[in-house]
Amino acid sequence: MTLAWVGLAVAGGVGAVLRLLVDGAASRWGSGLPVGTFVVNVSGAFGLGLLDGLALPAHAALVVGTGLVGAYTTFSTWMFETQRLAEERQLLPALGNLVLSVAVGIGAAVLGLWIGGGL
Amino acid sequence: MNEVWKLTTCFGERQRHEDRLLADAVLGTFGEHRLATSLLLRAAAGFGLRHHLRTDETLTMSEDPSMMAVAVDERARLEPVVERVLGIQQRGLVTVERLHHAPDVPDSVEVQLTVHLGRDERIGGGPSYVVVCELLRRHGVAGASVLVGVDGTSRGRRERARFFARNRTVPAMVVAVGSSERVRTVVPELQRLLPEAVVTVERVRICKRDGALLAGPSGVAGPGAWQRLTVYSSEHHLVGGEPLHRAIVRRLRAGDTRGVTVLRGAWGFHGEHAPHGDRFWQLGRRVPVVTTVVDTPDRVARAFVVVDELTVAHGLVTTELVPRAVSPGYSNFGGR
Repeated sequence: MTLAWVGLAVAGGVGAVLRLLVDGAASRWGSGLPVGTFVVNVSGAFGLGLLDGLALPAHAALVVGTGLVGAYTTFSTWMFETQRLAEERQLLPALGNLVLSVAVGIGAAVLGLWIGGGL
Repeated sequence: MNEVWKLTTCFGERQRHEDRLLADAVLGTFGEHRLATSLLLRAAAGFGLRHHLRTDETLTMSEDPSMMAVAVDERARLEPVVERVLGIQQRGLVTVERLHHAPDVPDSVEVQLTVHLGRDERIGGGPSYVVVCELLRRHGVAGASVLVGVDGTSRGRRERARFFARNRTVPAMVVAVGSSERVRTVVPELQRLLPEAVVTVERVRICKRDGALLAGPSGVAGPGAWQRLTVYSSEHHLVGGEPLHRAIVRRLRAGDTRGVTVLRGAWGFHGEHAPHGDRFWQLGRRVPVVTTVVDTPDRVARAFVVVDELTVAHGLVTTELVPRAVSPGYSNFGGR
């Protein structure tokens, strides 16, 4: 079990760095719109779906699922950036950020699960 | 009174000098020289020579915001500070402008009046900046914005904002624009209310007001002179559903403008409208926003075309001459 805790900590660190890189790259391309967080959350949802489909052993699922994908994706930033858009009266982009993230996110998770199950 | 100078420098928050942040090194210099007044402002958005966007719209991109430091003192005291700042700053933009002390308002022109005060300094139980804005509005000054510093000096003393503190004496400034006649009538009362405040005046040209074109950008003052283009607007001024200042940054970034800084104020007013700031229960913000561009006259003229197109209904647009502008580490920008 100790090994799982260490793995969790390391995977969490890797996930956080990965988010910074992916979010940063996508944000630069999005010029102000929260594209980075969207890309991170959707790809994370796909990853978690894939892992679930693969049906890994419990400890491995904990390390990769909770540790890596958990640190990689972000609910708080999604909420924070939606609030920022609303604060600037960008109501359509704010609403779009909520609706698209949910719709595309669920789609990505389903796709991941389907691909993972087939492997 | 001796000649008064204003030093303005723009850089990124993460920029470093030796073992500390550049912002800290610059403000440390201001403190060592015991400058009369100076403040450090954190910008809401901006970009520099590389057109790398800094914005607080997303979390990742808000980690290295644009910063602006402003210092005002007598020429003899500020001159060595300018040289020291140019010595430590590797990138960004440094400008030096000449100002007048408040009672000395030039005749029949438009001016920018700047009142340097404490963030939470009080007059009769209320924040002094609210009292100052009300006074300016009563005297028919076109508009004012309150910019709040996070660090600075006041009467020679370093005043740095702390997390758990009232930060009463941390510097802030009220920037107002109006005709010299109007501004002149305000000054005596202003000096009575805030006897120790540094109050300065500089010449500007009001180009646009609430969508009405009044004049083109300031003329060219000879080789080596730069211009500052300033747009005073508010968070609730939209153009095509987008906040005006965001639209300006986006459009100018697509063009050849070499730097923009957007500062968000805490309180302000424009024209006849009631002063506004944030409220406790709100979704959309209502604070003033100040967008500035400093560049060569030809580039400012091109930026003005874009700004003119975007300020259809809102905003106060001014231009002024900047006698000296240096972009450290970029020799093509201009000489000293």
